[in-house]
Amino acid sequence: MTEVASTPAPERGFTWSGRALGITRRSPTFAIGLIIVGIFAFVAIFADVISPFGPIETFPHQVLLPPSAAFWFGSDGNGMDMFSRVMHGARFGFGIAVPSAIIMLVIGVPLGLVAGYKGGMVDEIVLRSMDVLRSFPSIVLALAVVAATGQSLVNVVLVIGFLDAPIFTRLVRSEVLALRSSGFVDSAVASGNPTWRILFVHLLPNAIRGSTAMIAVRMAWAVRISATLAFIGVGIQAPTPEWGAMIRQGAEFIISGEWWVALFPGVALVGIVLGFNLLGDGLQDLLDPRRKATGK
Amino acid sequence: MVVPILLGITFLTFMLLRIGDQDPVAMIAGPMADEAAFAEIERELGLDRPFFVQFGIYVGKLATGDLGESWQSSERVADEIRNRLPASLELLLSAVLLGALVGVPVGLRSAQRPNKLFDQVSRFVSLFGFSVPTYWIALMAIFVFFFLLGWAPPPMGRLDLASFPPPDITGSYLVDSILTGDWATARVAAGQLALPVILFSIIVAAPIIKHTRAISLEVLGSDYVRYAKSQGLRPRTVRRIALRNSITPVLTFIGTELTGLLASVSLLELIFAWGGLGQWGLNAILTGDFAAVQGYVLVLALFSVVVFVVIDVLVLLLEPRATLRP
Repeated sequence: MTEVASTPAPERGFTWSGRALGITRRSPTFAIGLIIVGIFAFVAIFADVISPFGPIETFPHQVLLPPSAAFWFGSDGNGMDMFSRVMHGARFGFGIAVPSAIIMLVIGVPLGLVAGYKGGMVDEIVLRSMDVLRSFPSIVLALAVVAATGQSLVNVVLVIGFLDAPIFTRLVRSEVLALRSSGFVDSAVASGNPTWRILFVHLLPNAIRGSTAMIAVRMAWAVRISATLAFIGVGIQAPTPEWGAMIRQGAEFIISGEWWVALFPGVALVGIVLGFNLLGDGLQDLLDPRRKATGK
Repeated sequence: MVVPILLGITFLTFMLLRIGDQDPVAMIAGPMADEAAFAEIERELGLDRPFFVQFGIYVGKLATGDLGESWQSSERVADEIRNRLPASLELLLSAVLLGALVGVPVGLRSAQRPNKLFDQVSRFVSLFGFSVPTYWIALMAIFVFFFLLGWAPPPMGRLDLASFPPPDITGSYLVDSILTGDWATARVAAGQLALPVILFSIIVAAPIIKHTRAISLEVLGSDYVRYAKSQGLRPRTVRRIALRNSITPVLTFIGTELTGLLASVSLLELIFAWGGLGQWGLNAILTGDFAAVQGYVLVLALFSVVVFVVIDVLVLLLEPRATLRP
């Protein structure tokens, strides 16, 4: 006993659980969002293992049954199990959100850095072309492009990524504008750094902060808009287990009272979008020191 | 500045429609048509000419205010837009007004006491509004309020079958019937409007709450507000200073949202059979009705230009620091 007492208390080192706890305490929003997105990711990966039936497996005598022990979420107009279909829908959520977010950043961020730093003509041209793109309501452009170029997942992802790039251009540009005349940029220029190095090494890490939370928010939007397209009837088509397409199928049954076909895919959609949005909100709390100062 | 932007958008749409694999000729001709019929229809639509000639002709007509004809309804596109735009604007503007009237005060209050109960609740409501798809919540609301409770009228347009549209003054059935003293029609129009407007105002209010809160928080944490507080000014005075500095960014934000909302209101129009511009535009895109799509996109672009100009002028008036860029 005395031996134990005499040993010095162990230094508190870095542990993942400690860190997770700290983050959770600082932003519960972030933790909840992460858990929700994590659950959806799990379902997406293991959909084949955990769903009771195949996503397009039909039971011809079990059409439009309300939720029961066999069909937890009921069955749809084709006699397919809604529960299995909703679970498989998670794959489309991530399959669209992640790649389109990468496209947004790759196009949007460098343009914002250059426009903000160079100013003048370059700034003007970048801003004006972004204005043209943004004055097209994104849903209409997305719809038009996907309707015209054909029903493919790749088209949907490309269009979403391209449409959202201006958001990051604007964010990064305004940050750069504020940072351009600060001391560290002046000293970087004075010590002879080339422009690309000032942009990507000195300015990028400082200017990207404000965008981090936006990434999660735009991923939420990407999932939403792709489902909207499917609901309207372009992009992903009906027997495919995509949530928007499933709600489209359910729409015709609403007036006659078969609510479950439209309800459950919508709940899943709201869930994953809410998850990404909470993640974004939480990141904002964690990363924005100004806001924390006022939040005390 | 406006004309090049509009021309650019017109050109982009024009190109997009023609490189796409939608074929109005095949849709009009139907599966039974022979080669000659195809050629005939193609010539009639002017699609047999070279791309730039087609574009030149379109722009030439555009300059005289001729937007062409929709092949689906054989109506002039300009007339269709004139007839349908008021229905969409009625829905959109009522919802934006309601959304802003609720959203801005809620956002401001949230920012005054961050992380207190009111703030947490309003943040969650706003996040929910962000996350919920318009069309889905509309379907659910129809199920609950029409099918289960019977409070809402059937989602079949702007008036019931027994009513006639009031004389056309502003284009809004509600406003027009009130102006002409036709209270029965006004009541019907208001009843049809209520559900879609309330639903859409949730979607509208969500981003307004979020941004008002963020902007107001930033202002409240700024040096000049801290200075004002440390000078011992009354909380009311400090709040006024903060509000004064928050209002322009909030206004700008609502402006940037408007055009997108005009487009996304089309989903509600679709579900409530509203017969507005958005529903017509969606249908045009899906059926490859080239002239109609072109007109729809032009109206949206023009709308956003108008909104931006109005907002810019308002900002110049409200914000002494803002100047016209040379």
